[in-house]
Amino acid sequence: MNRNTMRRFVAVGVALPLALSLGACSSAGGDSAGGGDGDETLTVWAWDPAFNIFALEEAEKIYQQDHPDFKLEIVETAWDDLQPKLTTLAQSREYGELPDIFLMQNNAFQKNVLNYPDLFSEVSGDAVDFSEFPTSVAAYSTVDDVNYGVPFDSGTAITALRTDVLEQAGYTIDDFTDITWSQFITQGEDVLAKTGQPLLSGQAGSSDMIMMILQSAGASLFDEDGNPTIVDNDALLAAIDVYTQLVESGIFVEVNSWDEYIGTFVNGSVAGTINGTWIVGSITGAEDQAGLWAVTNLPKLEGVDGATNYSANGGSSWAISSNADVDLATDFLAATFAGSTELYDTILPTSGAVANWIPAGDSDVYAEPNAFFGGQAIFADVVKFGAEVPSNNTGAYYYEGRDAVSAAITQIMGGADPDEALAEAQANVEFAME
Amino acid sequence: MSTDVADRTRRAQPGARKPPAPDPAINRNRPWLTEGRRRSLTGWGFLLPAALLILVMSFIPMFQAFVLSMKTGRGTNLEFAEPLWSNYARLLSDEVFKLTLQNTFIYLIIQVPLMLILALVLANLLNDPHLRWKGFWRTAIFLPCAVSLVSYSLVFRTMFANDGFVNDALLGIGLIDGPINWLGQPETARFVIILGLLWRWTGYNMVFYLAALQNIDQSSIEAARMDGANAWQTFWHVTVPQLKPMILLTAIISTNGTLQLFDESWALTRGGPAYSTMSMSHYLYEVSFLKNPNFGYAAAISFVILVLVAVLAFVQMKVGDKRD
Repeated sequence: MNRNTMRRFVAVGVALPLALSLGACSSAGGDSAGGGDGDETLTVWAWDPAFNIFALEEAEKIYQQDHPDFKLEIVETAWDDLQPKLTTLAQSREYGELPDIFLMQNNAFQKNVLNYPDLFSEVSGDAVDFSEFPTSVAAYSTVDDVNYGVPFDSGTAITALRTDVLEQAGYTIDDFTDITWSQFITQGEDVLAKTGQPLLSGQAGSSDMIMMILQSAGASLFDEDGNPTIVDNDALLAAIDVYTQLVESGIFVEVNSWDEYIGTFVNGSVAGTINGTWIVGSITGAEDQAGLWAVTNLPKLEGVDGATNYSANGGSSWAISSNADVDLATDFLAATFAGSTELYDTILPTSGAVANWIPAGDSDVYAEPNAFFGGQAIFADVVKFGAEVPSNNTGAYYYEGRDAVSAAITQIMGGADPDEALAEAQANVEFAME
Repeated sequence: MSTDVADRTRRAQPGARKPPAPDPAINRNRPWLTEGRRRSLTGWGFLLPAALLILVMSFIPMFQAFVLSMKTGRGTNLEFAEPLWSNYARLLSDEVFKLTLQNTFIYLIIQVPLMLILALVLANLLNDPHLRWKGFWRTAIFLPCAVSLVSYSLVFRTMFANDGFVNDALLGIGLIDGPINWLGQPETARFVIILGLLWRWTGYNMVFYLAALQNIDQSSIEAARMDGANAWQTFWHVTVPQLKPMILLTAIISTNGTLQLFDESWALTRGGPAYSTMSMSHYLYEVSFLKNPNFGYAAAISFVILVLVAVLAFVQMKVGDKRD
């Protein structure tokens, strides 16, 4: 080999990996989401094109009426990807990679703000009037009296039932309104016996149902100071008792995946469901069942202090990142999601996105009868329910608590002693908090 | 070789060390750049890119992870733990970690031997020179490991749903009275995961064996037949011993892969019900990204996995290397 060729070869050999590794570093530093450079573009991370992203696009159009140069750059990011992305960026302190605005599950808000305060910018109370949101909802994104999010998607819980099935068994939707769980179970067994249709379904090992029942009594898995209260929690025991009865009586069908769960009521094998309002989007997917559904509030717990017929599941809020053009982002959110009835009027009929923003509920659009639900103005009802939902404390360890209780429920359904299973769950949560 | 000798002679004579500078032909033979050195430099030149990449991408992060495993704290507020090994001590009292460790070993103990035996048998069947459509069978059995994990998990989920294909089929032929909640019970969910792993990776290992079988001298098998050995005896006493290095390799690869199992646990069952199918790597991911991030603790878990892989590989090499 010629010496020059060889020297060149060695040089390439040394330079190539260096170039590669340097390239990897530099790409991480570039492409900042921008901010304060006079450019009226905001980058947003959100999931669900039919729901959140659709709402964003409509909000963009509304904001463009006054700000013709304004543009949104929406990056579709599933929640399962968004959380690891945020964690990775926060952990490596690459805040420059953050978008201006991102959507966050309400249940994860406290955890992220407490662990990674540097990810967020405060949402100024001067721009956004938080008194126009239900306290229980604004509380998710409030840490130490500072607001870090603008609530969007309402998680208000509803009971949706097939009126034709109820009719066969001699019931109407009113028989399922403002009732208790024991009434629900009695009537549910009757419906099952007469029509062969269970009323509810859900994922086995998911604690959504339990968490909704808990919140309906203003209870949670944590006390005010954030300590787990899984043991000796009367509301939790009552909720588990209700759940066990539902499953054992056959009123509640346990399935394994989300798709199966949606399938149970879309294909008509189950005659109803209890979930956040957003489930309406899936229910209306079954076009052959148009006119056969009705919506009402939840059954309530008996013998538990503070029990109500109202609860919530899920829901999300907009957060402004620390890398944002804060003024523009705040103004955008204040003018749209926290200030435009026009926006909510547009997105409601198409996507069923019910506002948390209370003034939106006064709009006529909410009072319009919904043909799919037999002419019921369901969204006006949902907004009324929303105002009644008791506040509960998710705390930073919501997911630890929820998963531990899910595991406990699986064990209890498998025959384990509730007290023992819950004690183990409490121990696991306490362990995670150490 | 001749230049080598010339170099050595030159070095031995101090007077000749300084070559006449202007002549490039002699300059090329400067004493430090001997043919041997040049060869070894060329070798290093080839090695360097890969070595540097491995250093930057693997070894430095590994070292950083080890340092991280001695730190504690939520999110970015990491500080060195007191004592330094407290994350490792914490593992011993973590019930969920113990459960995931147990799950992973159940997968390992049941799935790896089953898969390797199956792969060995299949490879032998497909190596039969009289078999027709050999290419088709080989492709069919190898194909699963080219399928995307997510799509195969989705298919498995659908097949093993309460109203899925498997339940329908079993009900149809009257083997069961009611649908089995496959993914909803700990034992059956583990069974589905093991089945998925077998389906996906048997063909992959079979290809290794097929390749090794091509190197076996056909005459040794013929000789065994001549001596009156039946098919099983030929397989067990003649073929298998010759495949030993390959069996060792696949055993190490599979053990390594199973100990680091993440995808099936994540995509098929989400670790449920009640953590009963969660693998160690899945738990590690949960601790870092889904729950309140505890990266120090997660790094400690990853080092436990590393040690387990290393120990098991070492044991297998010791066992597999015994000469008969």
